[in-house]
Parts: sequence; structure tokens; C-alpha cells
Amino acid sequence: MRETIIVMQREMKAYFCSPIAYVFGLLFLFIVCGVGAVVTLNPGFPADMTNWFVALPLVFLFFIPALTMRLWAEERKAGTLELLLTFPVTIPQLIAGKFLASMSYLALLLLLTLGLPITMGSVGTLDWYPVIATYFAALLMASSYVAVGMFWSSVTRDQIIALILSVVMLGLLYLVGVWGPLLIGEVPVWLGGDHVVLFILALSPQQYFASISRGVADTGDLVFYAAFCVFFLHANALVLYGKKVKG
Amino acid sequence: MISVDQLKKSYDGIAYALKGVSFEVAKGEVVGFLGPNGAGKSTTMKILTGFLLPTEGRATIDGLDVVRDSLQVRRRIGYLPESTPLYYEMRVDDYLRFTGRIRGVPGKELTSALSRVIDLCGLDRVTGKNILELSKGYKQRVGLAQAMIHRPKLLILDEPTSGLDPNQIVEVRKLIKQLGEDHTVMVSTHILQEVEASCSRILIISLGKLVADGSLADLLGDLPGGDVHLRVRGPSESVLSQLRELLGESVPAEIVSQDGDVSVYRVSVNETTVAVEEGIAHLIVKNDWALLGIWREKGTLEQVFHSKTLHEQVEAGDA
Repeated sequence: MRETIIVMQREMKAYFCSPIAYVFGLLFLFIVCGVGAVVTLNPGFPADMTNWFVALPLVFLFFIPALTMRLWAEERKAGTLELLLTFPVTIPQLIAGKFLASMSYLALLLLLTLGLPITMGSVGTLDWYPVIATYFAALLMASSYVAVGMFWSSVTRDQIIALILSVVMLGLLYLVGVWGPLLIGEVPVWLGGDHVVLFILALSPQQYFASISRGVADTGDLVFYAAFCVFFLHANALVLYGKKVKG
Repeated sequence: MISVDQLKKSYDGIAYALKGVSFEVAKGEVVGFLGPNGAGKSTTMKILTGFLLPTEGRATIDGLDVVRDSLQVRRRIGYLPESTPLYYEMRVDDYLRFTGRIRGVPGKELTSALSRVIDLCGLDRVTGKNILELSKGYKQRVGLAQAMIHRPKLLILDEPTSGLDPNQIVEVRKLIKQLGEDHTVMVSTHILQEVEASCSRILIISLGKLVADGSLADLLGDLPGGDVHLRVRGPSESVLSQLRELLGESVPAEIVSQDGDVSVYRVSVNETTVAVEEGIAHLIVKNDWALLGIWREKGTLEQVFHSKTLHEQVEAGDA
């Protein structure tokens, strides 16, 4: 645990010592709050943040891979990975430290967007329950995106390639989640029919985000995010173990 | 301290970078690990530090297996990889504090550990700077400082002087020698003077195999005997003929240079004739000539290195 925290602190420092954290943070807040204000603050309509939450995964889709692309790729390129792997720290501890650092940064940014619902609550009546549920869902969603971004960062020493691969993968999962439901009843039985559609649909974090942010989180949704993160973080660990064999 | 037994490593499952290396290093030794580029020096060091897994064979440090007890082994080692990788965006003191903490230096000892390595490595003028701004020499010192902040029992330094200017090289060598006073040190290099300057023992590796192991004196002793030179004042013709008479045909003698009645002679000694100096001195004195100097050519580490590594490469059909 101590080692995980030390790694996490160093990563946080790396974010905040470079302009990345500030430039990204401001851009994120500008987009999220700017877009949020336009889509949610409509005079004459009830205070409602549903529209804002619809836009959030799209922002994450580009923003999180840009945040995670350097996590391993930079260490590989600079050779610091070699030193990191000879410190008395296990690979899971390293992964957990980096993962938690990214999540803390994202949680901080999400915290800063709370100004939006607070403003809405102060000028109208806001139902806080779905807002809180959606913030929770947004964190889970972010964790799954971070796990994917970290995995792709570990397979290459080129940050741009890590970025592109993550955006493509998360983009596909997003599209499956958004458009997949339209395919129900459309796939011929010889191709597997609705079973196939539902199976593919079940893989998209988007699905579960929608259901949690409606305020109907069930254990299945939480298990999905946990399993999704564990899968990609484990894949990340395998890539690092592979480095120990292949050099 | 280090025990390596038939260590093999293959990166692709076909070609072997290490082909069964075995050696032992005792506590307190400063060992120079020599070899041409690509001989397997870095691979060996990466296995010892736990970065790479061996394909076959076994290595222990302080009695602990580098694979099975990897974490405990890593706590006992300070490692400086070949290219001195550092987090350039961090400040020197922040970076050293990070490496100290992650290597298990307790919180309350961290400050004293930090000032100890800053002092030892001469970093006091740059502690508040970003590593990115430092010269190569200072970066190297930061690399050394991070390797010893936790007072490791064993320091493994992979080419610590590569890319430094001559003054910096001298400083780093001095530092390594100093470290050898209370650490076991294993330092790889292909710069031979480095080994002569700071190591008590030498391991030479070539094409993945250990080809020499011993002190500098041992290795030089393995070389064929060097030629004997003598400077004599006297009639050169008769000196030469008397020398030839004394030494016989198997030990050729010749004149190298002549300046008036003073000549320099070379006696090409082969391995079977070791101590010829005494006989020669007697001969000169008996004839009432003046012996102005007599010396034996010394073998150099370069010669050891060439003879050991080239021999191997020729055998492997690689040279």
C-alpha cells in the first residue's frame, strides 16, 4: 500500500509539475462547463442535467486517452521503466499507483464541475439524486477509460500511437453502446440474432453509464466496471511481465 | 554477495545473449565487468537487478534468489542503468526523495539520507534544479545518488562513465573507488583504464561467456612474458654477441637503437625463459661495460582484453 501511494504521489507530481495538468484541466472545465451551460441552462425549462451527462462520455473519449497516453509510453521511451521495475515494488503496485493518480486527477476535475449543478440548484429546483448518481457513474466510466488508456500506453513507446489506439477502441465501444440498441431485431438468426447484439452491447461501458446515471444502478453495473478495469489492468500487467522476459 | 550459476538468457528463444555464465563476487569487492559491446554485460546486470528474468540458470544475491525473492533482492541493490534514465521533469531533491522512499528509506531517515548522497555525489549546488537543466555529468551523479540513497549492500553500475568528458570521468571513477570502501560494487565498462583505476577484480565476458576472472595482476600474469630491454654503454657488436652466447638461439637479442657508444637492446623472452635479467646483469658487469638500465615490457589490460575476447570471437567464427 505504501509503495502504491509513493508511485501515485510521484505521478500526481508529474501531472502538476508540467503544464499538462493545468492546460488539460482548464480545457476540460471550459468544454464541460461551457457545453453544460449551453445544454442545461435554458430559461423556461426545468432544471435538468440529463443533457449534460449525455455529452460527458464524448469528452472523456478524447480527454482521458490524452491523459493516460504518457503513463507507460513515456517511461518506456525514457528508459525509466527499467529503473522502475528494479525498485522493490510489485507490478500490480505500480499499476495501481498510476491508475489511482489518474483517477484522483479526474476526480478533482469532476469536483470542480460541481459549480454547474450548484448554480442550477440555486436558481431553480434541482433533483440532486440523479446528479449524484451521474457523478458516481462518471467516475466509474472514467475508471474504465483510464484502464483502457493505460493498457495501450503500455504496449508502445510512442505516446501518439497509444492515444490513437485508445481513442479508436473507446470510440468503437462508445458507438456500440449508442447505436447497438438499434440493431436489436435486425441481425439475422443465422448470424446469431439478438444474442450477438446483446453480447456486444454488454461489452460497452456506455450501456452501464446510462443505466447508473438514470439512478438505477444495480450490482451488475458495478461488477461490469470492476471486471472491465481488472481485465485491462491485468492485460497491462501481462505486457510489463512480458518486458521482463523479452527485454 | 553475488553468486551466478550457469546463467543463460535468450530474448527470442533462439539466440542466446548469455550462454551459461558463472561467477562469484565476495562482499566488499569492487568488480569490473568488461566485454565488447553486445557481450552480455548489461543482460547479466539486468538479471541480477530483477529487471529481466533468466531463461536458465540461477543467480543469488546475499543468499536470496533473484527470481524467487526478487523484492528482497531489489531492496539490497542500488542500480544505475546504462543510459542513466531519470525523470527529467522532476527536481533533483524531489527525485532523490522519491527514490529513497520507494526503496524503503524510513520517513525520518530520509532527510539525512538525502544530505548524505548530495554530499557524497557533490550535488549541493543543483538540488533545487530540474534534472532536465543539468549537464550530463551532473545527471550521472544524480543517477549514482539514487542508486545509493538506501545504503544498498550491492551497487550495480552499468557503464557509469559513458558519455562523460575526461574530467567528469575522473570524478566518477574517484566516486566509485570511494563507494567501494563500504559497498560491494559491480561496474561494467568497455573502458579499460576505468577498471585499472578502481577495481580489485576483473571479469571479462565475450559473446555471452565468461572468458576471464581474476585480479589485474592475475590476468596480466597470464600474458606471455614481455620483452626485456637494456641500455648499455659499451661496444655494441661484442655486447650483442656475448648476449647471444649467453641466451642461446631460442631467445633472440637485437639492437633497437644506438646513440654513440650507448645502445638499447631488446631480448625477446618467450614463456619458457622467465628470469633472464640477473644473468644479463652479471654478463655486463663482468665485461666492465656500464648497465644504464634494464626493464621488462609490462603487459597491459588491453592485451589481456584482446587476447581473451578475440580468441573467443575467432573460435565462434565471428571475427
